[in-house]
Amino acid sequence: MEGVSYERFPKVKIREMKDDYLKFELRETDASMANALRRVMLAEVPTIAIDLVEIEVNSSVLNDEFIAHRLGLIPLTSDRAMAMRFSRDCDACDGDGQCEYCSVEFHLRARCVTDQTLDVTSKDLISSDPSVVPVDLSDSSGYDASEQRGIIIVKLRRGQELRLRAIARKGIGKDHAKWSPAATVTFMYEPDILINEDLMEALTLEEKKNWIESSPTKVFDIDPNTQQVVVVDPEAYTYDDEVIKKAEAMGKPGLVDIYAKEDSFIFTIESTGAIKASQLVINAIEVLKQKLDAVHLSEDTLEADDQFGDLGGHLRGG
Amino acid sequence: MEHGSLKDQRASTFSLTDEDHTLANSVRFTLNQDPRVTFCGYSIPHPSDARVNIRVQTTGDPASEVLKDSLQDLMGMCQHVRSIFDKAVIEFRMSRLALLAVVGSYVQQSVYPETGPLEN
Repeated sequence: MEGVSYERFPKVKIREMKDDYLKFELRETDASMANALRRVMLAEVPTIAIDLVEIEVNSSVLNDEFIAHRLGLIPLTSDRAMAMRFSRDCDACDGDGQCEYCSVEFHLRARCVTDQTLDVTSKDLISSDPSVVPVDLSDSSGYDASEQRGIIIVKLRRGQELRLRAIARKGIGKDHAKWSPAATVTFMYEPDILINEDLMEALTLEEKKNWIESSPTKVFDIDPNTQQVVVVDPEAYTYDDEVIKKAEAMGKPGLVDIYAKEDSFIFTIESTGAIKASQLVINAIEVLKQKLDAVHLSEDTLEADDQFGDLGGHLRGG
Repeated sequence: MEHGSLKDQRASTFSLTDEDHTLANSVRFTLNQDPRVTFCGYSIPHPSDARVNIRVQTTGDPASEVLKDSLQDLMGMCQHVRSIFDKAVIEFRMSRLALLAVVGSYVQQSVYPETGPLEN
């Protein structure tokens, strides 16, 4: 019995977009929806990371588990992750979770033979699947060869060797932070700044400059042509009330009125490189839909019976 | 898992396992939008236990129906956000390409003044 739908229809506008950085506006939705998106992006979008390491030879200065920990934190390109199965759910392998459907195998062989220190980097990790490789963090300009080395895992001296085999699996940030695809996800309320022009007229240029200086970030400035105070960057405002306190201290309360628009958010997303920032948002929405589907289905009493058996009937009061 | 009374279907508490604020706060918000709901809220009995209790009290419809409708609405909202996000990405890319084309034609005009656009 579906009544009228009480859905709201949000709006999105993209401000800036690069491979690993995304800034967009989300309007006409509630803070709980924005927060749910943020939480899912950080903790529940699946990626691929090294999870099991078998070390054959390690004569470096770092011990085995230290190196295994560092290998786990290396970001791997995870475009396959959404389609892949979790190792624990895979029925194709014989239980140890190492088949080709649910995992990717890597190996690394390094031995220092020269007198110069050998840097073992993420570029030395050789993958069995060319679509899952350590993220290439070098600049596209690449004017300096030393910038393109990759993440350093360990440094070896003459005679030291490192040989290992690693298995990478799908996981989510909730289990371990190595699987989190987002470096930072933040959202802020969009500020609405209204300057009281009458009160502003009563100030001298010196007082105006003082008042503008009192803000830790550059939100206001003096227009050189008209000598008026104008808002130059409303989003630099960090909701500290410094300008309001300064106005009160100068004896002019109500000089400026700043309030946060309750349904307008500006998201800033930085990705580790495992997934593109725009793809990260799309995957986050998919994961949120899957969660809702799971809850929706389990509300059906037949499903509850499957899950809980006789207990389901007992819980329903039957 | 629904804890309710057989006689009064209008009010019950839904206990969801393996859930946290991510889902519960958004569902609570969409429930509040529905005028059939007189009371709704959620609580997490213990932070180490991944369990959420959502309480729904309605004006007459069974609480589970109202909850199902809200979940449906929330899924629709997610789908909508996804489609407008995809459109916004395409628009952004188009506008960047258009900007590059305009800049390119200006550069072309300044370097090769006699040629028109796209000639070389």
